[in-house]
Formats: sequence, structure tokens, C-alpha cells
Amino acid sequence: MKIPRISRKTLGIPYAVFLICFVIIPMLIIVVYAFTDQNMRFSFENFIEFFSDPTKLSTIVYSLVIALLTTCFTLLIAYPVAYILARSKMKKKYVLLLLFVTPMWINFVLRVNAIRELLNWIGLLGETNYFNTVLGMVYDFLPFMILPLYTTMIKIDNSLLEASADLGGNPFVTFTRVTVPLSMPGVLSGITMVFLPSMTNYVVSDMLGNSKITIIGKFIETYFGTDWHMGSMIALILLVIVFATTALSGGFRSENNTRGATI
Amino acid sequence: MKIRRTAALLLSACLLLPSAAALSGCSGSDEIILRIYNWEEYIDEGGEGSYLYDYEIDENAPSVLDDFCAWYEEEYGTPIRVEYSTFGTNEDLYNQLKLGDTYDLVCPSDYMIMKLMAEDMLEPFTEDFFDESDENNYYINNVSSYIEGIFENNSVTITSEDGSRSEHSWSEYAAGYMWGTTGFIYNPEYVDEAELDGWDTMLDTAFANKVTTKDNVRDTYFVGLAILYRDELLALQERNAAGELDDDAYNAAITELLNRTDEETVARVQEILLEMKSNIYGFETDTGKNDMVTGKIWINFAWSGDAVYAMDLAEYPESEEEEPAYFNYYVPEECANLWFDGWAMPKGANRQAAQAFINYLSMPQTAVRNMYYIGYTSVIAGDEVLAYVEDTYGVEEGDEEDAVEYDVSYFFGEGTTILTYEDQLSRQLYAQYPTEEVMHRCAVMDYFADEAGERINELWTQIKGETLDAWAIVVICVAVLVIALAVIYVKLGAKVDFFRLKPKKGYKKIKEEPVPFTVK
Repeated sequence: MKIPRISRKTLGIPYAVFLICFVIIPMLIIVVYAFTDQNMRFSFENFIEFFSDPTKLSTIVYSLVIALLTTCFTLLIAYPVAYILARSKMKKKYVLLLLFVTPMWINFVLRVNAIRELLNWIGLLGETNYFNTVLGMVYDFLPFMILPLYTTMIKIDNSLLEASADLGGNPFVTFTRVTVPLSMPGVLSGITMVFLPSMTNYVVSDMLGNSKITIIGKFIETYFGTDWHMGSMIALILLVIVFATTALSGGFRSENNTRGATI
Repeated sequence: MKIRRTAALLLSACLLLPSAAALSGCSGSDEIILRIYNWEEYIDEGGEGSYLYDYEIDENAPSVLDDFCAWYEEEYGTPIRVEYSTFGTNEDLYNQLKLGDTYDLVCPSDYMIMKLMAEDMLEPFTEDFFDESDENNYYINNVSSYIEGIFENNSVTITSEDGSRSEHSWSEYAAGYMWGTTGFIYNPEYVDEAELDGWDTMLDTAFANKVTTKDNVRDTYFVGLAILYRDELLALQERNAAGELDDDAYNAAITELLNRTDEETVARVQEILLEMKSNIYGFETDTGKNDMVTGKIWINFAWSGDAVYAMDLAEYPESEEEEPAYFNYYVPEECANLWFDGWAMPKGANRQAAQAFINYLSMPQTAVRNMYYIGYTSVIAGDEVLAYVEDTYGVEEGDEEDAVEYDVSYFFGEGTTILTYEDQLSRQLYAQYPTEEVMHRCAVMDYFADEAGERINELWTQIKGETLDAWAIVVICVAVLVIALAVIYVKLGAKVDFFRLKPKKGYKKIKEEPVPFTVK
């Protein structure tokens, strides 16, 4: 009896089909829409309009700033946490890690609603819209930063740290010259996982900024109600930014297999 | 009409369940299929919250759709199945129709009906739908003559595919479902009605950060127009009161003002709205009610139907620990927007079944069920509807002394008054059926086509978007560029020690030398 041979390539077919149907074709449609006008004729009009409108430029710059702030703060908070978790000799540290990750399992809209009530209770809601937005984003994306950091840090071999100490490195030098460089893959993957979604996560800016804050994702949503061509153009520009940041953070390097795992 | 976005998001996971339930509602072999596209939560869906006319609240109450199927089969002898789906905004509906989705019956708002009509996307009603002698024609026999008049008197120019243009009244293509006005809900604990200054309230610094508006372009643009033309609107009102202008001419004049979209008007409205943005608490679609209850805001722009819903919820809190709150409804003195949602049949619809469905919804007892479930006001004015309104808002026995007479004859027919409590004159009853005097200053808002539409959407972008000074944009862009270049530099010089520390005293850095090639 012959067993039908299944090559490795055949195993990839379902994924390829999925990719073509749900990623590549929609993306091509977006490109087509972005470079056509209402009568589906080729035009650069949307492109020119986007870059000649101060409001649209301001909005995308603002989104960048909000995303940068969010990334900085999540990194500042998540790094020590991940370090402590990974280095601690506690037997039950998985429980601790779980505590940081569980919020991810609760519906996102519910969590933002909870933060909204909390801010209302403190009295900040409606007063500090930008702060609230960044706060909500930091809260929302924190687990996405902690996890990759934790998984890279836990892989750092203890003997490397011991070697550094043996060679005369004090704890600070050991940290800056051993731990930090070795955890860079985790940092990079954390940054990509936080920076990109926080440019478009308009549920947070709508609910915590009372819709007075508009980030670029909200613009895309609004335009898709009335003008799909402009909406597609903004989506395309955002896509270019995403590609640029991913390329910068080294997301396309093939040998980069030490990056942190993500859930 | 409107969106409850959070609810929609929360429920998105279980969205399939209700629609699956709706699908399984009726069954049978060679049945007719009726595809209906309606607003979310815009029909009595049965179960808890459903209303049976004998005042029993029943968890297993059937939905209007189920009852319709049973009624239809009995009436016409053919089984029917309803494929019911919902949308969140008029634009979603329009896009779905443009993408080629087919429905027999859709429920757009006023301006979207006009747009669909103008683009020749609708099927007209058949002649026999308007035959008043047929008692099965519940719509034409029960619709309020006031609403019918609006539908008769307004028309749209339809441009058909071959380019011919013809004028048609709304009533040929659409039947009303729910209607109402726009105004403010306010909390009388903090705000006295005398303090409310028409739509200018939005700019009043006394209410800075205490008033919200809707997060959509049409309602906000209306507010801007009303503020811009306040003096003109009030002058017209005075002339109307002095008898120089009759009611129709007055209404036509304010409708013209409130539908202006020329460049100058849009530019001036933009200025007003930007000022408004800095004064208001925020733009909202569904958080307003809750913020009213918590006292975070005092005044909330509302569609009358939502206002009734909000006032009911505040008055009868779901948990007993919560204190009831009492809000009032206010229609600004200069003008308000008259809106309605209506049923229309896209091209190719099964007209017989669709019209039967509209007629079923227009039976006064069905209208009451939907009014109870949704909280909006039906266009139907049958005796049962009046009885329901009297049951809900009328005085109870023994309270007749405090009762006031409320005139609703413009809607229910000559000489109809409701004996009600005085506070209802600014609360639910007033929101559901404003006085005739209020109706005179209510204008229907047209749809904005082509260039006007683009101008208004652009205005919305300018209002919602962020504004940064040119130097700030440049500085931030340069900063981002510097960061990017730094990252590239570090990456390309991969051997560069990122934390280049000087060697300690007595040590020196040894240059790494390439391992020499050796032959085995």
C-alpha cells in the first residue's frame, strides 16, 4: 500500500490560501481604492490632499506622539517588572506573571470602561483628555510589553551574569553590559507590539478622551463611512509607517530567532 | 434611530446568536423570504423587556417578527420567513446596498431615504398600499395625518438611469416608522431651564465641560447652523408670532436657513464648532446617558427617542440601591431638527411581502409594542396608541386636581388632549409628542449631495482632527527622523558597543583581531 506523500510545501497550502484571500487581496483593494477617485479613475488626488491638509498631518503626527509616549511608558513600567519576575528566585513567580497577563483575557472594551469609571471617580475624566488616552493605552498594552521581555530575560543564562561578576563587573555594569544587550530582542518585539496598535486604537481615545482626541485610526473609520478612497489612502500611509517601523526595529531579519515569544 | 456603539461592541461576540434566533423564527417549505435590514434594537425582539398589551411581562414573549410570520401565513396562506439583520449607521446601510446586498425592506433615516430616492435605488409602493378602503392597509389607515402631510409635501428629484429627472413625493417611496425632534436633556438639579439659551448653550462658558454633543457630522452641523443663524431664526419667529408670516412660510424659511451649505456658511460654522469643541465635555454616541446619571455632565444633546429612554432609565434604575434621577427635555427656542426613520424598498424588493410587513408594524397594537420596547415615538396614531400614551403618562385616579391638559391634536386628530401631570410637560410626554408650537420650528434636514457633502465631511475632519502649528509638525517630524537615523546607525554599525564604557584603570581595550585562516 502506498502512503501518499505529503511534502512540506503541501502543508503550507492552507496558510497560503488564507493569506491570499484575507491579507493580500484586501491589501491590493486598498491600494486600488487609495489611488482612484469617486469614478474609479486613477488619481493622485487623495495623496496630494492628505499631505496638503494641515489637520490630517497634525492628526497623524499626534498619533505618532501618542504612540511614542505609550511605548516609552509601557517600556519604563514593564522592564523592571519583567526583570524582577525573571530574576526572582520565587517558586511561584508564574502566579505573579499570570497576574500581569490575566487582564488580557478580559474583554478589552470592558477594561476601558472600567478605567473610564475609575478616571471619573478620581475626577480626571473630561479634564485631561491626552493624559487619559495615554494612560488607557499604557494600561491596555502593558501585558504585550511584559511578556516578550519576560520570555527573553528568563532565557538569559545565569552563568553569563556570574562571569561578568567574576571579571570585576559590579551589578550596574553587569546590568548595562550583559542583561540589557541580551534583552534587546524582547524590547524590540515589545515595542513593535505596542507602538503599532496604539496608533489606531481609537476605542481608547474615544472613550477616555470623550471623542475630543482623534487618532489616525479614528480618521480611517470616519472616512470609510463617506469616502472610501480617502480612507484607503490614510490606511495605506499608515501601512507604510508600520513597515518602516518594523524594518527599523529589525522585524524582518531572518536570523533573528532570539526574539521574545508572544502569546 | 441611533447607534449604541459600546453595546454593539460588547455584543459583537454574540451578535450571531440573536440573528440566528431570528432566522429560525419561522419555517416551512416553499416559503417566501423577506429580507429586512433595520437599526440595532429597533424592533420588539421579544423576551424580557417586551410588552404585551395586557400588561404582562413575559420572559418568553415572542418577538414582533415571529408574530408577523404567524399573522402573514394566516392572512395570505403562504408561509414566510424573515431574514433579519441590523446596521449601526445610515452610511453602513448605504455602503451595503452599494456593495450589492439585497434586501426587501430597509429602515434608513430621513436624509438617507432622500439620497436613496435621488439615486433611483428605491422601488415605489404599489397603488393598493394607499387604498384606505382596504382595512388590511393598516399604515394608511393609522398613520398620523401630521406625518402623512410631511411625507406628501416633501419631494425629491429622482434621476433615473437613462438620465430623465422627475419629482416625487416621499410618500411614494417611504413609509414612516419612528419620528422625533432633537434637543437637550438636562439635569434640573444643576441647570434651570431659564439658563438654557437655545443652541448657544453649547458655547456658554457657564456650562464649560458640562455639555456634550453627538459624535456625528449631521447633528453637529445642525447645531452650528442654528448658532450661526440664531438672530435670523428668532426674527422669523417674531414675524410668525406677529402674524406677518403664516406657519408654512415660517417653516419653509427656517428650513432654508438650516440647510445652507455654501462655502461661506460652512466656513463660519467651522469657526463656531471649533469654539464649541473647546467648551464642551466631548462628543458621544452612547455614553451621554450614563454621564448624566453620574452628574459628570448636566446637559446632553439628544434625539427625543433616546431622551425618553434616558429619562426612563434614570427614573427607574435597574438596581434598587441606585437613587432615581429626574431629567428634563428641552427643545431650543430658535429651532430643532425634525427627524424620522422610515421603511423603504430597495430596487427588486418583494413589494407584496414588504408592504404587508409595514402594515403589520402599523397596526396600533404592534406600534405600541415597539414604542414600549424601543422608547421612540411611532408615526402611528391609532386609538390604542393614544390609550397607551394616556396609560403611561396620564394622571391616575384621584390625582385629577393636579392634572393639566396637554394638547396633542396635531398628531392624534382634532380635539385630542391628554390629562397629565405638570412635570410631564417638560419630560417624557413632551419629548415623545412636542407641542404643536414646537413642531412649527422644527426643520427637516436635507441630504448633502456631491460638493456640499464633501464640504460638510471636510468640515467634520477639520473639527475632529488635531491642529498643530506648523513648527510643531516640523519639530516632531525632525525628532522622529533623528530617532530613525540613530536606530539605523546603530544597526548598520552592529559592532558598535551601544554602552561604550571606558575601561577601568589598569585595563585596556584589546582590538578584536580576525582569526587567521588556517589550513588543516
